[in-house]
Amino acid sequence: MAEKTIQDVVCTFCGCCCDNLEVKIKDERILGVRNSCAISMSKFLNYDRERLSAPVQRKNGSFEEMKFEDAVEKTASILANAKYPILYGWSLTSCEAIEIGVELAELVGGVIDNTTTTCHGPSILGVHDIGESTCTLGEVRHRADLVVYWGCNPVHAHPLHMLRYSVQSKGRFRKGRKDRKLIVVDVRKTDTAKQADYFIQVAPNQDYELLSALRTAVKMGEIEQNSIAGVPVEKVEEIADLMINCEFGIIFYGLGLTMSTGKSRNIDAALSLVRELNNRTKFLIMPMRGHFNVTGANQVTAWQTGYPFAVDFSKGYPRYNPGDTSAVDILARGECDAALVVASDPISNFPVVASRHLSRVPLVTIDPHFTPTTLASDIVIPSSFVGIETGGTVYRMDGVPLLTRKLVEPPKGVRSDEEILSAILRRTRELKGVA
Amino acid sequence: MKEIILTVKKTLSVPVECSEISPNSLAGKTLEQIRAMKVWEGNRSTRLEEIFYVKEQGGNASEGLTVRIVGDASGIRKIGHRMAEGSMVIEGNAGMYLGEEMSAGSITLSGNAGAWLGSKMKGGTIEVNGNAGDFVGSSYRGSRKGMKGGTIIIHGDAGTEIGCWMRNGTIRIKGGTGMFPGMHMSNGTIYIEKDCSGRTGAQMTGGRIVIGGHVPAILPSFNIEEVRERVKVGEEKITGPFYVFTGDLNEDGNGKLFINVTKNSHLKWCEEYLEL
Amino acid sequence: MTELMLRNGTVFDPLNRVRGEKMDLAIRDGRIVETASSKAKVIDASGMIVMPGGVDIHSHIAGSKVNSGRILRPEDHEKDVEGRTSITRAGVGYSIPSTFTTGYRYARMGYTTVFEPATPPLKTRHTHEELDQIPIIDKACFPLFGNNWFVMEYIREGRLDECTAYIAWMLNATKGYAIKIVDPGGVEAWGWGRYLKRLDDEVPHFAITPREILRGLCKVNKLLGMPHAIHVHTNNLGNPGNYLTTIETMDCVSDLASGGKPIIHITHVQFCGFTGNSWLNVGSGAPEIAEYVNKHDHVTLDPGQVIFGDTTTMTADGPFQFLLHKLSGNKWVNVDVEGETGAGIVPFHYKRSNYVNAVQWGIGLELMLLVKDPWKIYLTTDHPNAGPFTSYPKVVTWLMSNVARGRVLARINKNARRRLDLPGIDREYSFEEIAIVTRAGTAKSLGLRRKGHLGVGADADVAVYNINVSSIDPSRDYEIVRKALANAAYTIKNGEIVVKEGEVVATPTGTTYWVDPKVSNDLMQQTTASLSAKFEEYYTVRMANYPVEESYLESSTRIEAHAEV
Repeated sequence: MAEKTIQDVVCTFCGCCCDNLEVKIKDERILGVRNSCAISMSKFLNYDRERLSAPVQRKNGSFEEMKFEDAVEKTASILANAKYPILYGWSLTSCEAIEIGVELAELVGGVIDNTTTTCHGPSILGVHDIGESTCTLGEVRHRADLVVYWGCNPVHAHPLHMLRYSVQSKGRFRKGRKDRKLIVVDVRKTDTAKQADYFIQVAPNQDYELLSALRTAVKMGEIEQNSIAGVPVEKVEEIADLMINCEFGIIFYGLGLTMSTGKSRNIDAALSLVRELNNRTKFLIMPMRGHFNVTGANQVTAWQTGYPFAVDFSKGYPRYNPGDTSAVDILARGECDAALVVASDPISNFPVVASRHLSRVPLVTIDPHFTPTTLASDIVIPSSFVGIETGGTVYRMDGVPLLTRKLVEPPKGVRSDEEILSAILRRTRELKGVA
Repeated sequence: MKEIILTVKKTLSVPVECSEISPNSLAGKTLEQIRAMKVWEGNRSTRLEEIFYVKEQGGNASEGLTVRIVGDASGIRKIGHRMAEGSMVIEGNAGMYLGEEMSAGSITLSGNAGAWLGSKMKGGTIEVNGNAGDFVGSSYRGSRKGMKGGTIIIHGDAGTEIGCWMRNGTIRIKGGTGMFPGMHMSNGTIYIEKDCSGRTGAQMTGGRIVIGGHVPAILPSFNIEEVRERVKVGEEKITGPFYVFTGDLNEDGNGKLFINVTKNSHLKWCEEYLEL
Repeated sequence: MTELMLRNGTVFDPLNRVRGEKMDLAIRDGRIVETASSKAKVIDASGMIVMPGGVDIHSHIAGSKVNSGRILRPEDHEKDVEGRTSITRAGVGYSIPSTFTTGYRYARMGYTTVFEPATPPLKTRHTHEELDQIPIIDKACFPLFGNNWFVMEYIREGRLDECTAYIAWMLNATKGYAIKIVDPGGVEAWGWGRYLKRLDDEVPHFAITPREILRGLCKVNKLLGMPHAIHVHTNNLGNPGNYLTTIETMDCVSDLASGGKPIIHITHVQFCGFTGNSWLNVGSGAPEIAEYVNKHDHVTLDPGQVIFGDTTTMTADGPFQFLLHKLSGNKWVNVDVEGETGAGIVPFHYKRSNYVNAVQWGIGLELMLLVKDPWKIYLTTDHPNAGPFTSYPKVVTWLMSNVARGRVLARINKNARRRLDLPGIDREYSFEEIAIVTRAGTAKSLGLRRKGHLGVGADADVAVYNINVSSIDPSRDYEIVRKALANAAYTIKNGEIVVKEGEVVATPTGTTYWVDPKVSNDLMQQTTASLSAKFEEYYTVRMANYPVEESYLESSTRIEAHAEV
């Protein structure tokens, strides 16, 4: 087969969802990628390594291949009989697959939760109380003359963010880097901070205090302390002045805020600061979502159930209360009796007590390759990569939906999450006696 | 005084919820009816008697009903939900949402309470001999309708964000608490006798928080008002002296923090702002 | 295929001039037919009203801002849940229901077609994902154009033909149904945190005015041969004295009218119908607006009727929503969309005792009662802005019963009551008029030829309500009317019974309507070439990734329009 180049490919790595990639393909293999960042390129060129090729089940301490139909049967049986199953993951698959997941969770009276719960859950909790002044990324590119990165390091985690959307991009009203001021707030001088016009080193776990002081300064209030979170009050006032005097400012923030002490209240403070700034100028805020479709997982779950993650269907209707209905907490309390993990690796990043319980219950994982979660599972079903081997809708970090496409065939016998979940849903309905 | 005794039968591996265990809910029901009441065990609807042995003792229900729970109920949610009369005595631990939306009566817990104790409470008394979790007396996610009345007393420690969006009533912790007590509070009184991990009264618009022990710092959006010898909590006069801070100025709030002076010598700096 | 025979119902089919006649209705293969065979399933509709299924012209049910509203308000859902049944999916309701619940609740009221009135084109794939998951009803969405960079530039440069081709391209790309305009120019100004008040204020950096945008798009709408008029949310919404802006807006295109056909639809007029110059002396501009509408045939409107209680406001009018946040002190979401539009969401509680809210309640009803021709005005609550759509039956009782209105009037803020003309208005709507403002008139306004009526060939979307016109006096028995409208005896969708006695019994998927105007090939080629050159300058997505494919929709019904260019 001849070599071909596919244009306008949507990258399925991080929440930037860059959609201008060019992928060179020959004989169902990806030879090269243009317009991507290094991490994305690495994914495109190495995605087919360490692949699972057939469904397996754990028998006597090792994995044995099994037929797809048997894997579906056993999974359906595990879920149908469970009293409090968790269906977790979802951020690395398509909306179409997530929709099936929600239906499955509802059918079996379980909990559906996605990686928001360990990542930007606090951001959503903050929004419940305050709301959020935000925009799509093009607004930043065109208008922003002040960009703040707080507790995040886009140079490493969202490599093309600054070039495509913020300080290095070309917008209608801001032509280049010199038209913008960059402020970076972090506990240490990261590579992103090295590019800043103003670097604020905040004392670890004191972001809440700093955000609070900034808000006081914006309100022209009296701060009765000389230094807040390790930052001299004069500096706080200087930053507040920069914010008030800009034409259009934005705070991008990441796990430095969501996962340091204070969590959702750090976000509350940031959202409140931005809201306050809108009395003086145009100011917005946006979380730097990590996975390429965690936003999609929130969107699908919200429109189908009313709530964006941690949804409990055990009583037949959707119930939501992170801390109670969130996967990590349920597992930490040892309250779950079965789990289905889709496109995620919770064993690697959950607290040990939660991971331990997860590995002890009947666990089915659907994933393209080996991970610590698959190694702890009872059944593993191999799946294909969204955006490479199968298509589907994804949502960029700013809520813009994009349709990814299939570029190459998956390995033989490997199905998409959509197909696998459809089969499991079908069989589970039969077991539950539903049409 | 009639008593209905529910003894926990088994340790449960999945969440259990029964939102109708309260004196007003059980009043007038026969033992058989109580045994048949619906309880959720994970996603299974089951009978109450699967979870509890049910007995009754004592005399006249017209003198009031006490519901006694014996055993470890730490996995059982919503005990005392919408309680409106009588008393509940729990000899052991209780799960999340104990006394949620309670409006009258009294709950006494010998052990520890889970999170969301007394959430959305309107009246009555809850007394916990052990510790309590996070969000004591709070609202539901996204709502500003936290505790509106009643009294919660915790003899041990409590977690974070106690009194979150509180609108009135009293929370008294004899031990210490985690961060953000009185978060977004608009009225009511919180008295923490021992230490608090910090961010006291964050974003409050009204109400009072009294800290008898140590706080690491005061938020920059609070200003020192005065030093007071004493502060009144309910009928009791608590001896200080106390630094009195006003805030949260970011919310144009006029809540008050009473911070014990002797336990917080590191806050002496605020005295220079006293006459300003 | 499936045949149904509705026997002996009292039929109201205003488009076919049927005004409460006892008739049989035959249905086969999803359409109304002349007769049915003996194999037809018979439904005895004796003593019941039969109407075409409801057609809602303006209700925010799907898309980015609706979902942001859901995420904002877990406390809205907590109190109103729907459990899963063997036929229906679980969900939550109240002011921002989840998708499945939305379809079920509309169907229970006998509604079979609902249009989402505002979708940001860049995110319209999201709107379609949600619409596809709203069961039973047919649907469509209106893409927003009033602050679109390309549109403003085309109009400023006088390039109307290319603007026409551009909008045709956009309607195809978004699978949209009509040209929606919200606060023209004002939302672009809000991109900088600024406000526009008047029709002749200039949009910063674009050297164009709201008046020019409105006129330009009105002309384009005609050139495209669109089935619906331009659908307009005026500038200056929510400000005392803004009834003048409404009249000015209606008037600014009056010279473009021809043939008595409406060329502009003003939506939720209650929000832009205030007299006065401060919140202390706000009053109803309904009499003035109704007078204008009564004298002009080029306008239609809907009131956005206030329902007392808790709800959620959500519009593309970002600046207005910020002001509402400041006024109410409630939490606030804002989402500006690059090069196109914006959105804002603020929970709100309408109180009887509040002077302004009570006046607002009065304005909506005054509009409905003072506009004489029921074909010009449609029943809406601008769901959920003025109230949840589940309140429609209550609004019907206020229209049909002076007593029902009076009971509410007696309990509203007394200064408001004194200020309103409403207490002196005793007009009562007939069932025929209700059928017009909830189905026949809306279907006609939207150009849906097979909806809103029960003539042969119409889609078999039928609502049967348990109201016996010979024994019920709607003016007195309004509670019976309300209950019957809230729980249809039967709702039939494409010939299938989907609701029986207020319960959902089947959940077929409806279709999504969209309009595909055909402009000349040369013009389209020229326009897409110049569009392509500028696309990535304005957007952060590639032009190839922007359009929504027809195959993306679960079920697509394309309506062709023949453009004049």
